[in-house]
Amino acid sequence: MASSVTLPQVRPTSFSGRFFGLIPGILLLLVVGYAGKFIEQSIAHYGKARHLVLPNIEYVLWAILLGLAISNTIGVPAIFRAGVATYEFWLKAGIVLLGARFLLGDVLRLGGLSLVLVFIELAVALTFMTYLGRGFKLSPKLVTLLAVGSSVCGVSAIIATQGAIDADEEDASYAIAAILALGAISLFVFPVVGHALHMSDHAYGLWTGLAVDNTAEATAAGALYSDAAGKVAVLAKTCRNALIGFVVLGYAIYWASKGQAAEVKNKGAFLWSKFPKFVLGFLLISLLATLSVFTKPQLTALGNLSRWAFLLTFAGVGLRTNLRELGKQGARPFIVGAVGEVAIALITLGLVFGADRWFHL
Amino acid sequence: MSTSTRRFSLDSWAVLLALAAALLVRIGILQTVPW
Repeated sequence: MASSVTLPQVRPTSFSGRFFGLIPGILLLLVVGYAGKFIEQSIAHYGKARHLVLPNIEYVLWAILLGLAISNTIGVPAIFRAGVATYEFWLKAGIVLLGARFLLGDVLRLGGLSLVLVFIELAVALTFMTYLGRGFKLSPKLVTLLAVGSSVCGVSAIIATQGAIDADEEDASYAIAAILALGAISLFVFPVVGHALHMSDHAYGLWTGLAVDNTAEATAAGALYSDAAGKVAVLAKTCRNALIGFVVLGYAIYWASKGQAAEVKNKGAFLWSKFPKFVLGFLLISLLATLSVFTKPQLTALGNLSRWAFLLTFAGVGLRTNLRELGKQGARPFIVGAVGEVAIALITLGLVFGADRWFHL
Repeated sequence: MSTSTRRFSLDSWAVLLALAAALLVRIGILQTVPW
């Protein structure tokens, strides 16, 4: 998990010890996330009461900034770390619940388009990152980890690939640190570029889902633009996540053929073990919503539950990012990651503008 | 994410929690969720 680099944890061994050990951190996620929401609402009320036009800064950004401030000043005390690391759990639960806000037809239409773009993005990104890493003389397995991390789904993909290709812990740490640092930067850069280019919500959301690596950061970068952009970003990113198993399997077979990783015996079981199950949950809830299993107020309730889950996630994104720790991981993987990310962002931006022109997103 | 060593992955638990929440909403136990 992402936190292994940035947020070392102390894990109690018993189940009840581990369960109760999560509570302080989850409460911290809730407090930081709710503080972000409170600040957004307070600024809006203040502006309204005094007839001032103040910029509407979403709770997403406040939650991330508050988390970053805590993590990079006083630090996250050990008692909170295990619970803070659950932010990915809340992200996945939030994505499943978000399925209620999509009709299956929209999922298939936008998801189908996203999948086509994801295939192009994957081919270009994997090739580009591989040659770039070789050019910078990084170790071959670190190149694989960076290529997978920047083309598929960030930290989860790196961790899945590390086990499959028997890569060093150190290489995985470098790759994770580079992807996390770049993800943090993209949170602030993507919305600015999107506004500067006057992108529509759908086009921006699609771009974010295709170009930002970690699912949490892609969700946050989308939500920072607008609610609609956040929804599309999650959908596009989910399409990318769905392909993780195939990419990891491809690399596992490649490294096994070189005698540098264990052979994959049961490919079906391997694919299933790597497949992100929340994609199925998202599709199931979307199908139930399409079949009118839920009333309109119930759909609103599910949408709001999804928002609460994302609120915890955004707080976690800030709290788990320790910039000093990321800076210690070395410059070369970061430079390769950064050059690759900029190239991937530009290529996917071109793809999205092309899709917008042809399909009127 | 390590899935091979666990019977249920983090992903699966997140899906189960979300489906349980959807069920609570569907049968009316959770009627309104404020935002």
